[in-house]
Amino acid sequence: MTTLTKTEDAPVPAGPDPFLSVRDLHVRFSTEDGIVKAVDGLSFDLERGKTLGIVGESGSGKSVTNLAVLGLHNPKSAEITGEITLDGQELTGAREKTLEKLRGNKMAMIFQDALAALSPYYTVGRQIAEPFIKHTGASKREGRQRAIEMLTKVGIPQPNLRVDDYPHQFSGGMRQRAMIAMALVCNPALLIADEPTTALDVTVQAQILDLLKDLQQEFGSAIILITHDLGVVADTADDLLVMYAGRAVERGSVKEILTQPQHPYTWGLLSSMPRLSSDVNEALNPIPGAPPSLLDPPTGCAFHPRCGFVDQVGGASCTSERPPLALGRAAACHLNAEQKQTFFTEQIKPRLG
Amino acid sequence: MRRAQAAIVALTAGALALTACSSGAKQGAADDQSRKDAEKMRGQIAFADAAASKGPAAPIPGATPGGTIKVYQRDTYAHLDPAQLYVSDQGSLSTLLFRRLTAFNLDNKGKYNVVGDLATDSGQKSDGGKTWTYKLKDGVKFEDGKPITSTDLRHTFERQFADFITSGPTYVQRWLADSNSTAGYRKLLPGGPYGGKHLPKSVLDTPDDKTIVFHFKKPVGDLPYALALAGYGVVEKAKDTKEKYDKAPVASGPYKIQPGSFKNGKGITLVKNTQWDPNTDISRHQYADKFDIQFSVSYIDSTQRLMADNTDNQTAISFNNQVDAASLQRVANDPKIKARSTSGYQPYVGVMNFNMRRLKDKRIREAIAYAMPIQSVLDAYGTPGGGELAGSYISPTLTGYKNIDPYGKLKNPLGDVAKAKAILKKAGKLGMKLTYAHNTAVEPLKYSVAVADNLKKAGFDVQNKELPSDTYYDIIGKTDNQFDVYPSAWGADWPSALTVLPPVYDGRQIQDGGTNYALYNSPETNKEIDRISQETDPKKAAADWFTLGEKILKDDLPQIPTFYYKQVQLHGSKIGGAVNNNILSAIDPTKLYVKK
Amino acid sequence: MLRFLVRRSLGAIVILLLISAFTFFLFFAAPRDPALLACGRNCGPDALAIIHKNMGLDQPVPVQYWHFMAGIFTGRDFAQGPCPAPCFGYSFATGDAVWNTIVDRFPITLSLTIGAAAVFLFVGLATGMLAAWKQGTLLDKLFSSASLVLSSMQIYFIGPIVLTLLVYNTNLLGQPKYVPITEDPVGWFMGLLIPWCVLSIIFTAQYTRMARSAMIEQLQEEHVRTARAKGMSAATVFFRYAWRGSLIPIVTIFGIDLGTLFGGAMITEVTFALPGLGTLSIESVLRTDLPTVMGVMLFAATFIILFNIIVDAAYALIDPRVRLA
Repeated sequence: MTTLTKTEDAPVPAGPDPFLSVRDLHVRFSTEDGIVKAVDGLSFDLERGKTLGIVGESGSGKSVTNLAVLGLHNPKSAEITGEITLDGQELTGAREKTLEKLRGNKMAMIFQDALAALSPYYTVGRQIAEPFIKHTGASKREGRQRAIEMLTKVGIPQPNLRVDDYPHQFSGGMRQRAMIAMALVCNPALLIADEPTTALDVTVQAQILDLLKDLQQEFGSAIILITHDLGVVADTADDLLVMYAGRAVERGSVKEILTQPQHPYTWGLLSSMPRLSSDVNEALNPIPGAPPSLLDPPTGCAFHPRCGFVDQVGGASCTSERPPLALGRAAACHLNAEQKQTFFTEQIKPRLG
Repeated sequence: MRRAQAAIVALTAGALALTACSSGAKQGAADDQSRKDAEKMRGQIAFADAAASKGPAAPIPGATPGGTIKVYQRDTYAHLDPAQLYVSDQGSLSTLLFRRLTAFNLDNKGKYNVVGDLATDSGQKSDGGKTWTYKLKDGVKFEDGKPITSTDLRHTFERQFADFITSGPTYVQRWLADSNSTAGYRKLLPGGPYGGKHLPKSVLDTPDDKTIVFHFKKPVGDLPYALALAGYGVVEKAKDTKEKYDKAPVASGPYKIQPGSFKNGKGITLVKNTQWDPNTDISRHQYADKFDIQFSVSYIDSTQRLMADNTDNQTAISFNNQVDAASLQRVANDPKIKARSTSGYQPYVGVMNFNMRRLKDKRIREAIAYAMPIQSVLDAYGTPGGGELAGSYISPTLTGYKNIDPYGKLKNPLGDVAKAKAILKKAGKLGMKLTYAHNTAVEPLKYSVAVADNLKKAGFDVQNKELPSDTYYDIIGKTDNQFDVYPSAWGADWPSALTVLPPVYDGRQIQDGGTNYALYNSPETNKEIDRISQETDPKKAAADWFTLGEKILKDDLPQIPTFYYKQVQLHGSKIGGAVNNNILSAIDPTKLYVKK
Repeated sequence: MLRFLVRRSLGAIVILLLISAFTFFLFFAAPRDPALLACGRNCGPDALAIIHKNMGLDQPVPVQYWHFMAGIFTGRDFAQGPCPAPCFGYSFATGDAVWNTIVDRFPITLSLTIGAAAVFLFVGLATGMLAAWKQGTLLDKLFSSASLVLSSMQIYFIGPIVLTLLVYNTNLLGQPKYVPITEDPVGWFMGLLIPWCVLSIIFTAQYTRMARSAMIEQLQEEHVRTARAKGMSAATVFFRYAWRGSLIPIVTIFGIDLGTLFGGAMITEVTFALPGLGTLSIESVLRTDLPTVMGVMLFAATFIILFNIIVDAAYALIDPRVRLA
């Protein structure tokens, strides 16, 4: 267990300080239409050398959370409260200069679309070398050497030639490798990978994920792997956090969640995932409805408008009362433990095949 | 003779004048003063004898030599070859550069006469005015030190017949050839003197180095005036490079062109001509060391600079730029600026033409004349100082002028609509269609509203027709034009109506592109024109011309005068000797000096 | 690169031929006869005929066009003297060799446009970037509204006001004038300072707004966010990553604006009595001076086309994804 489990609403400090600790994180954006609560009271911990998967639909607050960890939100439009501690250092409210020294150095991020995320105007080598030069004070020549070294490490053929190429001259997979090389150039202790494989075809996807694992072993980095694809986390992550409408709705080890999911939303995610073993003619079961508006989230459990089990909960607690996320392995749902067990085993699991 | 030609007007509007203005003297722009000066001029322009033509010119009190005068000019001088010079900006320049047989002289008291310039006097006529003899002064030289001889003068006149000389005056050539046509005179010496041919002795004779004799078929009275035109400036035969002479002419006046300084659009620098001997010249001075002339300075721009009178502008002036219409009020109201202004008449008289082939009934023309709001026309040209209401076809600066007002226009300048309507009613033409045409320049657009309005009130069904400015004179110059009423302006070349009445009122000159815009043809008038043209007594000629003009206006009414054009000019506070010269209708450049 | 140059040069030649033919034949379609101006005030059909012959206007228009175009490459002989290639003939109005006049006047227009472009690019980009940097602040709003007001200004309106304020009333600056930079660099700079500023005002405002919006757009680009995620300082991100991308729309507009800039230079030259190509083109049109009209037109068009090729080549420098072909 790498994830400390406690209630969302009343986080309790853990014994020994974890490497990354997020406590009661709120991220609110002011827009013309009102306040968007993109992240609404999120807490989690992560230790060195471990991988935390964060899954959820688009707009569930996965990326916003991680941009908040790096402090990349525009302070003019985003209001961030709560605590983010990295290796004992408080990040929320830290000065921009302090964050600059950490970014790309102690913590780094791999973005989803490497074509958009790499500057088209500078060579790959230069973009990889830049954070190295900045954070280590290396010379330009050393920076270039380091870039070649990193390109070799991520498996780019002829790195001493490709180092002078521009991103558009790379293939999609190579670009993603270059992104990873850039993120890892300073051996970051925390690596956030935001859907690093979504844009890639399946074989490349696997290579990239392997690469991440190898590198993790070499550097002992902690990784946050953001994805909407449970298949990706299944092989890679140690722990899992399921997010919905800006909140964590379920947490546990990967194994626990994939084999014994407790939250109807997690069930929905699993059901909508194609399996190799399933009949190609069999329809997938997407979650009905659309993710809620974060401008005006539903009362009570935010998932209730899309949840097929509201009737099973007595009274109106689903619509009026927000279910807490209990300590440890837990799910934020009003169904009792027995119901969760029964419904999954009897109704959901058979469909997963 | 000249018309205010539209193409040039677009570019050099108002700057065409060559003659006939009046000095505001030292006191600056004052209508009364300039009118007095104009009166002083009339009847005083005498043809001077040898004694009155002898140099040097009387010094200007207080004038000191030295210094550079900055000159702002709107237009680049289109020509420098004397034979190509006609319009007024070139006239001012040529006064400094080129000497002629005769010259208009303005003395320190404001009196004008025609003096011998290169010649010892203004000319000796014989044979009833058919023969004119000129003797050259001693000591007259070109800038290269070569003496000016009768050979050079023969060449000066003979090259006027060459095909490349197209834009200068043609009076003398036509008198020599006895030709009325605009190009027919060239047959007298086709191609000019360049093939070794010369005018026969019976036409132009140079019996010795110092003598030049003109023989005309008919008596010529105005020759001393004509020879003073810029276009008859002397050309050095040995240095004549034909077409190329236009870029590098040889000077004979007190100043010469600094070699290489003439740049199209930029400027030209004039420096002292050391070969010029003041003792041979009654009409010019040589005070300033240098004239630094800058082109492409608009009227608005030069007015602003000279009004500001800051730094360099204190020693600046413009030979030919006027105060722009919008600034006239400020110049009149600011005594400090007004003290640095000069004003005078331009040679132009504005008129409204009546198409004589369409408006045959004189009563209709009278009705239009009475209705015409000449004050509105004048106001469009800027007040005060843009002009003066006109009662006659002949400008106040011309010899023989008398103040007349046969249609009461001066008393009722906004138009007598009631009277006009009564006349029209009597003629049984109330509601008749009338096409009023004008061009789209700023001023006509301004006044045409009032003109059309008055004509409507007088009972006409007015069709307003706007014509493009740049082809306006071509369109109204067509003999079959379909307009009834249209404005035009005409200016004299020298202070004699010989340069006004024949081109505008001679019915035999009616042709497409001609200048008889009213298409007026009266055998009686034509006969008078022929008679007075050959009158060699200037005084009698002037009186007869004026009588004829008055008669045409009263009896035939082909045009109704609107106003006499005037201009106001400024100069910097350290410029001395700034006096308006009627002949140049601009500041006299030869009198200028830099105040110490 | 070579292919790019060859292709663009061929295109340019076609455009120039079209412009020359269009201008030439349009000129003869106009009702004005150029000979009238040279005819002085003694004009009649016979006098006009002589001038037509002098000017070569007695020949059929296509023949005249052929002689004119051929003269550009081979030179021609005129009564005024031989006219070596590139020969645009002699001015109908002044008798000057048109090519000499253009060569004489071009430095003024070049100084004016390059200086003004430097001013408006520098000031426009600086204020636009500053506004983007301080987006939403009072400064940003101040710049935005100022640029709106300024962009509705006209040169012939501001010119005289600036002159009155800085020259006539206070003598803070001298009368605008042109002194060749080779003769007196300081005089060149001081003499053109006011024209540069006045000509650049409308453009500055436009480029302020453009730079601001381009920067704001760029700052939202993912790769800019990546740069921040790498720990690049705000200034590095702004000036290195975002700026580079914001140049592309600006360079595009700049290429399009060259014609407008030349038009503005024309008005500026007239406003400040600077005898450049702008003044020359206005004069020559008013004087129906065909050789000069043609000369200036072709020269200006060549220059604008050439500059556009340079601007297009600049894309490749700014954005490595662009390949010239």
